[in-house]
Amino acid sequence: MDFRPTPAQQILTKTARAFLRQHCPPELAQRLALDEHGFDQALWRRMAELGWPGLLIPSELGGSDGSLLDVILLVEEMGRAGLPGPFVTSAVVATSLVIAAGSPAQQKRLLPELAAGTRIASLALVEETGSFDLEAVALECLVPGRLSGRKLFVKDAHVADDLVVAVRVGGAPSLVVLPTDHPGIARLPLDAISGEKLFEVTFDHVEVRPDDLLGAVGDGAALLTSALRAGSLARTAEMVGGAQRVLELVIEHAKTRVQGGRPIGGYQAIQHACADLVRDVDAARGLLYVAAWRAAEGRSAEADAALAKAYAGEACLAVARRGHQIFGAISYCEEHPLHLLHKRIQAASLDFGDAQLHLETVARAIGLEGRP
Amino acid sequence: MNFDFTAAEQTFADEVRRFLRATSPETFPVDGMDAGYGSGSNSRAFMKALGAQGWISMCWPKAFGGREQPMFMKLVLMEELALAGAPFGPLAGVWQTADAIIEFGTERLRGEVLPAVARGEATFWQGYSEPDAGSDLLALKTEARRDGGDYVIRGHKIWSSHAGIATHGLVFARTSREARRSRGFSMFVVANGTPGMDIRPIRSLTGEVYHHEVFLDEVRVPADLMLGPPGDGFQALLNGLDADRFWGRFYKAPALTRVLGQLVDYANTTTVGGAPLARDPLVRRRLAAIAAEIAALRLIFYRAGCLIRDGAPLTYETAMAKVYADETGQKLARLGMDLLGIWGPLREGSRWAKLGGQISHLYLTTLGHTIAGGTAEILRTSVAVRGLGLSAEPKASAEAKAR
Repeated sequence: MDFRPTPAQQILTKTARAFLRQHCPPELAQRLALDEHGFDQALWRRMAELGWPGLLIPSELGGSDGSLLDVILLVEEMGRAGLPGPFVTSAVVATSLVIAAGSPAQQKRLLPELAAGTRIASLALVEETGSFDLEAVALECLVPGRLSGRKLFVKDAHVADDLVVAVRVGGAPSLVVLPTDHPGIARLPLDAISGEKLFEVTFDHVEVRPDDLLGAVGDGAALLTSALRAGSLARTAEMVGGAQRVLELVIEHAKTRVQGGRPIGGYQAIQHACADLVRDVDAARGLLYVAAWRAAEGRSAEADAALAKAYAGEACLAVARRGHQIFGAISYCEEHPLHLLHKRIQAASLDFGDAQLHLETVARAIGLEGRP
Repeated sequence: MNFDFTAAEQTFADEVRRFLRATSPETFPVDGMDAGYGSGSNSRAFMKALGAQGWISMCWPKAFGGREQPMFMKLVLMEELALAGAPFGPLAGVWQTADAIIEFGTERLRGEVLPAVARGEATFWQGYSEPDAGSDLLALKTEARRDGGDYVIRGHKIWSSHAGIATHGLVFARTSREARRSRGFSMFVVANGTPGMDIRPIRSLTGEVYHHEVFLDEVRVPADLMLGPPGDGFQALLNGLDADRFWGRFYKAPALTRVLGQLVDYANTTTVGGAPLARDPLVRRRLAAIAAEIAALRLIFYRAGCLIRDGAPLTYETAMAKVYADETGQKLARLGMDLLGIWGPLREGSRWAKLGGQISHLYLTTLGHTIAGGTAEILRTSVAVRGLGLSAEPKASAEAKAR
């Protein structure tokens, strides 16, 4: 048993931390969160130069044959920096769907550009039920035919060149991949506290051709299960990274903020709170690594990933909330870095399924019979 | 990263499982109550069976009769024993004492005590706490006075677990007055039955005896029963307590996994208000959430285990792990009582008791876990001060004046 990343993974993590410190300081994350468009093209291009969007993509298609575990370690650093943008939805979720199910023509058309960062894709899954449960997908689509309806909470749709849309073809869960400049597609922004760019995407008689199908009709559920697991793990990594950063900020503050003649970290009330934060971060990270490692090794990881997401969602959010209490009034300010980390953790805890959804997966895995 | 056991570890786990199937651990006679930590009841016969397998001494140096197995084998063994609910009560404490004897024991301790430990015959009680020295251990008053080739011990120890059925006490006493408060302490390995030693049971809130108080009235012990360097026992004890936190709680996660499995079975087979308990969304969610906590707890211990194995420095890990283990155990016990409802408080052996009355026992015993071996408060402070580098609170003024 060994909890240490490989030397290559340690280099990846170290490089990412240094890069993000330089190119994604808290002020930038904050500015992008407040900005309506909120996408830094130059930063994205630099990340692409480092090969990040191509990590999961085979080398013959322009990627670097990385593992999901590599991606998870990288996203943990992104979470630590509060990096905004479409990395998870494009380079993890949509990309892994194209890798898993794309026809040779689709792969050749999409993957090299996704790897180079010149193309961005997003996933359109959630509907008005607000559920990430695949059974909740109701949007019907004829292939060939026209697609009409809407998807909600589509992340970074404004910068996406393509959308992978979860639909039902004659009732069978299926995926289609549609360019966002197709006539009839409109992207309407939602306004969330996290500053993440979320959209309602409407489809008005959008033409769908047979070669828009991603995978066979009826393959949608199986494909999405695996891609959502990758997305879920990536969002968990983001939470762990964000909570790690909160912990670092809190400890620094506890050591330097003097009240009553000594640093507040010298009071047991603060010490004990800090001790709990360490536990929350360590515990969440352990579950994350095991789940990501299992998934990367091709083992069954459904329960592990669900466990990690559900646990980290609670634990990392607790870290952020307690962080505010330890910081006191200053963390209530917009210019302070804590609230954005907090909001990002909160957003990540809901993306690809909230704790309730994942705990139900765990409930079945530990042997509870029946359904609620 | 790799979260698999090695082939050798897996082979050993299989061997332990075969042993447990063949010997049925629940059939061994019990000598002392299960204190809920996860190591089950105290059974001399089971300890002897472990000794007969060569498992108690498997990691010792060959010169001491061991087989120099890697330390992880002990984790594998404890995990399997705990998952099976085996009565291996004193094993972790026995291992720690043996390690201390191997590291700095006298020839006499190595020659007389170690072989008995390896056979599963020797077990130890801890004589650390005193009525006025709990979290503030250095306030202890027990003294050992040098008298020729002997030490003569006088004092009053308390909260010594299973002292009445152990073979030896580990008595921590002041051996000299020194300027520094933390110096001048030594540890003695004192056989039960030594004249002047009076061990009295304390009946616990479970109705059974677990702790004892021990009166030491001019107890004479040869100087070579001192364990560790004279006057420098406190650092050795601190290291021991650090290890205690790890070894004494490592088996909690697998033990809780076992209890969780029983609660899942209970929920699957129990109907409340006409519907299976397992279909209640809140029950499902609470059981799943605690399953996640137990999984996280297990990893926290394995991560600390890896650091210990690799000789990496530990600052906060074992203190944090102990608090988490104890609080997770309390949480599971509470959840168990909630699920069992009106049946929850029934004791083992009672008519209508569910799950063998284990949950009410766990509920009561786990109360003590955040107190024993370092309170949750002391340990959280330790995590913050030793682990995170926050400054220690100033000592209480009375003590400052005394110094």
